[in-house]
Amino acid sequence: MNLFEFSYGIIHWLVDLVNNLWYWLGDVLPWVFGDFFDAVGDFAASHGHIAVMAMLVEALIIIIIGLVNVLNFIWIDRKFMIITPAKVDRMGFLLAPVIFVGSSIAAMCTIPMGFEFYVGTNDTPYSSYPLPGGPEYPGVPASALVAFALFAIAPFAILTAGWSSNNKYTLIGGLRSAAQMMSYEIPMLLCVASVVLLAGSFSFFGIVEAQHDIWFAIPLFLGFIVFLTCLVAEVEIQPFDLPEAEAELVEGWTTEYGGARFGLFMMTGYLRGYIGGALAVAMFLGGWHGPAIIPDPIWFLIKAYIVFVVIEWMRWSVPRVRVDQILNIGWKRLLPLAMLNLLIAAILRTLEVF
Amino acid sequence: MAEMWINMGPQHPMTHGLWNLRVKVDGETIVDAEPEVGYLHRGIEKICEDRTYTQIIPITDRLCYGSSLTWSHLYCLTVEDLMGIEVPERAEYIRVAAIEMQRIASHLMWLAAYAADLGAMIGFIYTMRDREIFIDLLQALTGSRLTYNYPRIGGVAHDTPPNFERDSLRACDYMEKKLKEYEDLFDGSKVFMMRNVDVGKLKKEDAMNLGITGPLLRGSGCNYDLRKDMPYSVYPEIDFEAATHPDGDCYARYRIRMDEMYQSCRIIRQAIQKMPKGKWRIVAPRNAPAGTGLGRVEDPRGEGMMYIVGNGTDRPYRVKIRSPIFVSVSAAKHMLLGYKVADVVAIMGSFDMCIGETDR
Amino acid sequence: MAERGKSVLREGMEKAPSSVEDAPEEKIIKALMNDFPTAITDFKKLRAGVVRAKIERRDLLKACKFLRDSLGFEHISMISAVEYDNRFEIVYHISSYAKRMVVELITDTPLDDPTVESVSSVWGGANWHEREAYDLMGIKFNNHPKLERILLPKDYLYHPLRKDFQGGD
Repeated sequence: MNLFEFSYGIIHWLVDLVNNLWYWLGDVLPWVFGDFFDAVGDFAASHGHIAVMAMLVEALIIIIIGLVNVLNFIWIDRKFMIITPAKVDRMGFLLAPVIFVGSSIAAMCTIPMGFEFYVGTNDTPYSSYPLPGGPEYPGVPASALVAFALFAIAPFAILTAGWSSNNKYTLIGGLRSAAQMMSYEIPMLLCVASVVLLAGSFSFFGIVEAQHDIWFAIPLFLGFIVFLTCLVAEVEIQPFDLPEAEAELVEGWTTEYGGARFGLFMMTGYLRGYIGGALAVAMFLGGWHGPAIIPDPIWFLIKAYIVFVVIEWMRWSVPRVRVDQILNIGWKRLLPLAMLNLLIAAILRTLEVF
Repeated sequence: MAEMWINMGPQHPMTHGLWNLRVKVDGETIVDAEPEVGYLHRGIEKICEDRTYTQIIPITDRLCYGSSLTWSHLYCLTVEDLMGIEVPERAEYIRVAAIEMQRIASHLMWLAAYAADLGAMIGFIYTMRDREIFIDLLQALTGSRLTYNYPRIGGVAHDTPPNFERDSLRACDYMEKKLKEYEDLFDGSKVFMMRNVDVGKLKKEDAMNLGITGPLLRGSGCNYDLRKDMPYSVYPEIDFEAATHPDGDCYARYRIRMDEMYQSCRIIRQAIQKMPKGKWRIVAPRNAPAGTGLGRVEDPRGEGMMYIVGNGTDRPYRVKIRSPIFVSVSAAKHMLLGYKVADVVAIMGSFDMCIGETDR
Repeated sequence: MAERGKSVLREGMEKAPSSVEDAPEEKIIKALMNDFPTAITDFKKLRAGVVRAKIERRDLLKACKFLRDSLGFEHISMISAVEYDNRFEIVYHISSYAKRMVVELITDTPLDDPTVESVSSVWGGANWHEREAYDLMGIKFNNHPKLERILLPKDYLYHPLRKDFQGGD
């Protein structure tokens, strides 16, 4: 039994376990929902089992990343209580962590880790590559668009958190975040556009399959660098962590948060670092392609982790830039470079290299 | 966004102590600023009136946590001036070596805090590691790590420990190597230069008129180093240069401190090599005559000055301490206007704030 | 004629330092004595580079302006207030970067009227020194831009460095 078979054995065992659980529930509570759980069980046992299993594995990753943090913050929470300052706007203050965490985890879930290893949203490999003569699967092959859309919701949560906290530091942090995200979203999406142009697909499956022979990071090296820079700004890691610049704006937009809510912000910040790595891998670094000694999903995780490590490495080495400088970099340097990259992609596409 | 006042302090990561900088911002641009100090006022000048001359030495150590040795050295210089005592030559050389080690340690601590302020945690970790070497040397010399209580009126408390000369020379060699590394790390960093060059400009005339001293003054192009221009102790016999930089921005102040660390290595080396054998302490009289004593030293942060009035008893009648940062911080408004909120960190960081001596 | 007069004056000034009598310290004292013959009551060279002069408080501001504009003392180092049995002494340490010299200018005020003219218009650095002297010793500086307590709380009642201070609450 090699590693491949071993990991798939574990995964199948988990799927069986869940299926049995669903059936057991369906036996115990038939008088509540009638045939509902039977339907769920059928779904899980049929083509949906891969989806459920992928969901489980992703949940496992979240737990491993966050377990220590969560325990720590739960303890702090129980010890010191959650504090909601008196003069905050309660609705925005309580809603902001939910939006932030929810949108980030949703973005993470839309990124597939393998051709058979994904959370089904609107996109499955079958909708991108319908089997000839097989069943038709509903779905729109546009998971990359969905992922970037969900990824870009976070500044809204940051602005909400900063504004509703009724504190000058958080307000400045929130507004900085809005300005920064707006100016870095555009070059990043231009780089994505160049990738989409080469791959001819808005779906992660299509994009990754297009990189079977050569990673897009090689023809679009310029775009890769611009994308990575924008990514660092998007996930607010130094040198671009202006919204929570701890030296000047105490903790930036999280100043008024404490306990579990701050924990959620903090943990999700790191989670977004991982999501950024995953996006970079899927877009530029060949996704789950790699020598077959390691299963595809593991390849994907290794690559994403390497990108994440590089981003964190930068965080501890480089000083923070200033607010006018970050906008200058975004609009005057990265945007022209991203346009140039798009031009290169268009030329490559016209010459039918890809 | 309308203009608003922001309180940066008294509890704020930028302050490095307990003081308050009120800045009025229009969006991100500073239009007004007002520093407030006094949160750490301990009444050291009043306490000194109630202690004997010897008992004051540990109190003056508490003036500045970053460079406590220069302050007790300054106090001893002032009292020696008041009493008219000549200090043995060996003691002078030991003092010079020790305060230059203290200067390096203080500048390294400044660099650590400054790098952390600008967001480069790597600078903090590296510099604090190398500061440890000089703290260890001072520990071997004086017996403690932060407040040394080492100079005495008429000399120093102990002779040098065994192997002190060898270890000091080694530390200097090591430090000069590491300083080159820091230059690669900071001067080579584009972001560091972006944050420092042309930030917090201070003109030479303004600096003189506002009473600013130390690295801030020399960073504005005024070549005035008390060790050179009004030499005390054995500085006239030691060959070194006072670092100056004409630009008057945060980068100039950073360069001044880096160059001063090189020069301090030179001074330590010469002081160790020229150190004669002999007595390191003479017994000072218990009572000081009626009269005044004035001491001035080049503190790592500027010109430290002490004015002591004696009245013939064993306690000083009045002790007045001039803190360099107290004067420099009063000029904060001149340097902050027109810059961004993020520049507050760089500009006030380049002051090397030490609240212990500011509030006394 | 004016041209020639100026050049003669310059020649005369260039010659002066060559003699032992006109070392910089003595020149400062002479200059001060010439301009304020009645105000300067006592002067002394303490050691190389340090000169002490006593001055009447009515002429303090004028003397400070003269020191800055004519003698090139561009910097005030320290203002100390000392309380004696019969008077307050306010000691100004004024230094010059070009000449490498310190003038210790001492002025007296009576105990019941501790008032002097502020020199913060002459040297910007004097501002906080004067506020500190007001805070801790209760010396009042006329025409100071903002004479408030600086180290102690704004509502504090005492001036703690005075000798009759017994500890406030």
